[in-house]
Amino acid sequence: MNRSNLHTKWSLVALLLVFSLLLAACPAPAAVGPATDDTTASTESSDSSDSSADESAAPADAMTTIFGETLPEDAAPYDEQVYRTACSTTANQTTFDFQVSVYSRYCLGDVFNDPLIELDKDFNVVPAAAESWEVGDDGLTWSFHLRPDQVWSDGTPLTANDYVATFQYLADPEHAWDFAWFYNGVIQNWEEVIAGELPKEELGVAAPDDLTFQIVTQQPFPPLPGMMKFGWTLQKKALEEHGPYYNSDPATSVSSGPYMLDTFEPGKLITVVANPSYKGYRPPRIQRMEAIYMDPGTEFSAFQKGEIDAVGYESLSPADLELVLNDPVLKENYLRHFGDFRTDYLLFDTFNPPFDNLDVRKAFAHAVDREAIVTNVYGEVKAMPAYAMLMPGFPSSSTKGELNEYQAYDCDLAKEHLATAGYPDGEGFPKLEMWLRDEAPALQAVFQAVAASISQCLNVEIEVSNKDRKVYTDAMNAKPTGLQFGAVSYGMDYLDPTNMLGIWVFGGRHSWKNDEFDQLINEATPLVGDPEKRDQLFRDAERILVDDVGGIFIDHRWQGTLFQPWVQGDCIREADAIGIMGEHWGNDSCVSNKYIEKH
Amino acid sequence: MGRYIVGRLASLVFVVIAASMITFTIMHAVPGGPFDEEKQPLPPAAKANMMRKYGLDKPMWQQYVNYITHAARLDFGISYQQPTTTVTKLLAERWPTTMQVGILTILFAFGIGITLGVLAAYHQNSWLDNALTFFAMLGITLPNFVLAFLLILFFSVRLDWLPMRGWGDSGCLINIPGQREGFMCADWVMPVFAYALGPMAIIARFTRASVVDAIRSDFVRTAYAKGLGNRVILSRHVLKNALIPIITVAGPMIPDLLTGSIFIESTFAINGIGKFFVTSAFNRDYPMIMAIAFLISGIWGLIYLLTDLVYTWVDPRVRLGAEGSS
Repeated sequence: MNRSNLHTKWSLVALLLVFSLLLAACPAPAAVGPATDDTTASTESSDSSDSSADESAAPADAMTTIFGETLPEDAAPYDEQVYRTACSTTANQTTFDFQVSVYSRYCLGDVFNDPLIELDKDFNVVPAAAESWEVGDDGLTWSFHLRPDQVWSDGTPLTANDYVATFQYLADPEHAWDFAWFYNGVIQNWEEVIAGELPKEELGVAAPDDLTFQIVTQQPFPPLPGMMKFGWTLQKKALEEHGPYYNSDPATSVSSGPYMLDTFEPGKLITVVANPSYKGYRPPRIQRMEAIYMDPGTEFSAFQKGEIDAVGYESLSPADLELVLNDPVLKENYLRHFGDFRTDYLLFDTFNPPFDNLDVRKAFAHAVDREAIVTNVYGEVKAMPAYAMLMPGFPSSSTKGELNEYQAYDCDLAKEHLATAGYPDGEGFPKLEMWLRDEAPALQAVFQAVAASISQCLNVEIEVSNKDRKVYTDAMNAKPTGLQFGAVSYGMDYLDPTNMLGIWVFGGRHSWKNDEFDQLINEATPLVGDPEKRDQLFRDAERILVDDVGGIFIDHRWQGTLFQPWVQGDCIREADAIGIMGEHWGNDSCVSNKYIEKH
Repeated sequence: MGRYIVGRLASLVFVVIAASMITFTIMHAVPGGPFDEEKQPLPPAAKANMMRKYGLDKPMWQQYVNYITHAARLDFGISYQQPTTTVTKLLAERWPTTMQVGILTILFAFGIGITLGVLAAYHQNSWLDNALTFFAMLGITLPNFVLAFLLILFFSVRLDWLPMRGWGDSGCLINIPGQREGFMCADWVMPVFAYALGPMAIIARFTRASVVDAIRSDFVRTAYAKGLGNRVILSRHVLKNALIPIITVAGPMIPDLLTGSIFIESTFAINGIGKFFVTSAFNRDYPMIMAIAFLISGIWGLIYLLTDLVYTWVDPRVRLGAEGSS
């Protein structure tokens, strides 16, 4: 009997312990109510109004944005203009601002200020925060004239001094910006300031007046305006008072962009709301945007449930994509676009055997059956076969297959090259390991197919190994390289061939050197006043790249977004000059055009 | 007993320090760093700035000594993944959620697992035993992330019965005033079930085997001969004697369950610490890797100590350390 009582006591104590642990484990109260509740509330209120009156009879101000714009007739009322996207639970995110860290930004970043320029739907450089710009007679001093009356959400005017402070912060050795290579050789004294040899005040940026931001380049550099797609600014005052992460707290966050921070719960939810003090060039129709954290593998499920309004192509598995393409409604709303003109390619160490032999490289290039791989493995909706670095449509790209012959699939020719290199029918050829950079399963399958195509054609042994991202990158960038043979991709940073082809200049990420190529790129990059010659120089350089087989180009990626049918806006639904719909890279004003249709 | 516990706790300190040294050495031996050069190599000066910023420009021994002296004061540094907060604060904020998931999973897995194991043992070779064996094998072989996706597709997308993500965010039976998260919520169901199925299946299998062994023992035969009822024999004789192997298997599961799973937390968007086990390694977030090494080695040490103490409670013949020899 006593023993039984003892057991009962123990059980009660255990239960109490567990209960108190669970209670203690409950997190502290949050200051802000759940964003989803707000949305639900607004949806509910509109639902009730829907039941009592015709939607078209909604009061005029219900259809007017806080910027005074009347929404399109088919739009949902303004308080229902909520755009929801997914945000990866496992992504490394530290800041909202490109100028703080490029590779670890929170979702919904880059809406707290406007870039100096942007790209229109046809990839032309057009004004954004800067309404105009010109280069001085010296060919080096660029003046960007800011739109007047731009203001931060705390009432502070936005001035060129904010840009100067931001660019000086970018070069600050204490900052150690992860994108520091971007302005290397571009902005005057950039390298010296980064190295701490000159004070940051010596950086080639200035504010001769509040509305003029000047950049002095090291040499004439025509693509500079295009680079200012990344010309975002931090607020000088907030930077000095609260440090670079001031936007990671709604209390210290300030915005001169179309949105301002509302809810910030990394790992759960981030919401931004339209910035009522915004005076810029892209006042949004969407009143509120939500980034809901979820595993990328569950995004399509959330989309099917109607919990998010868009899914990027990276989060669609091959099975998801097949489902999308077989459903007429989904297919119509999967909008394919250029993205960042990304090219997948093979790279190798051309300074050591076996790839120091051009015939080996040519053999490999002709052994890849790109057409079959894209059709059967990658899918034509996601990629097109590549024969060169620049995707057709990119400036100076080969649009009529002028470069195809250099790397086209021709197994017999490939075998001939391998025999010439001293490996007839693959005899004596060393076993290779093809490194991949932490690729997703879909791309692993593509590169497995590439390896199989080469192996089958040339009778060589290739093992594919998917490496940790940093291990791969470390080996690729090492001098001399630690990467004998691998696959990788590159997407543009700005719309000029000097970006996509410049990465092949010796000293960068590739272990390949061609003096003639380097000379052509170095001549073309600063060339001003003769766009045709500049274009031709880049075309000549790319011909050398594919002929000397600096890399083997596999495919150019079509990127795409699956939207809900109720997400509308000319910037995504209307085609560009060559018939491509979807949200184009760099077209940041699309945020002012998108809206939610009644549904 | 008291001396034994103090001795074990003292040795645990050395274990934790040894684990931290091994972790520190290995993580620095792996290529890459907490900076990215994905597109282009950084200029040498920029890379040197990076190394200085993260304190990686100092000799390894100095980095370790700096770290360990700060860690002794519970200052684990600032996470590279969350530079606006300290590692200690980050773990303090997020671990409670992971613990909630873990404790519920333990209760569910152990409760159901032991019950099913006993049932299977008592109905050996019956259809019930076979069905439970099949169920247990399914639980052992089905990875929790696969099960998680299947649950989401069925109960969330198709049937729309349960929320597909969150923890304490929706459908709560108890809402505590002033608290953002509720209690006993619909969004608890799928993560706990997906997380618990594997451990539950293992425990069920071990319980079955242990109980079958115990049932065949002489003391059970004697108990029946004395005329004791089934319930008394089960609770006082069979289960208690079958517990030792179950504790041996179940004990080590507890630290794993209490420190979370990236698959469960990521799939169901639970804001716990599970993801840091993987993301801190991928991102070379050295302070977070070290803090997690401390946490894991500490918890493992404590759970093993607790397991040893439970042995003495379950079977008084077990003696611990010096106590046994004196």
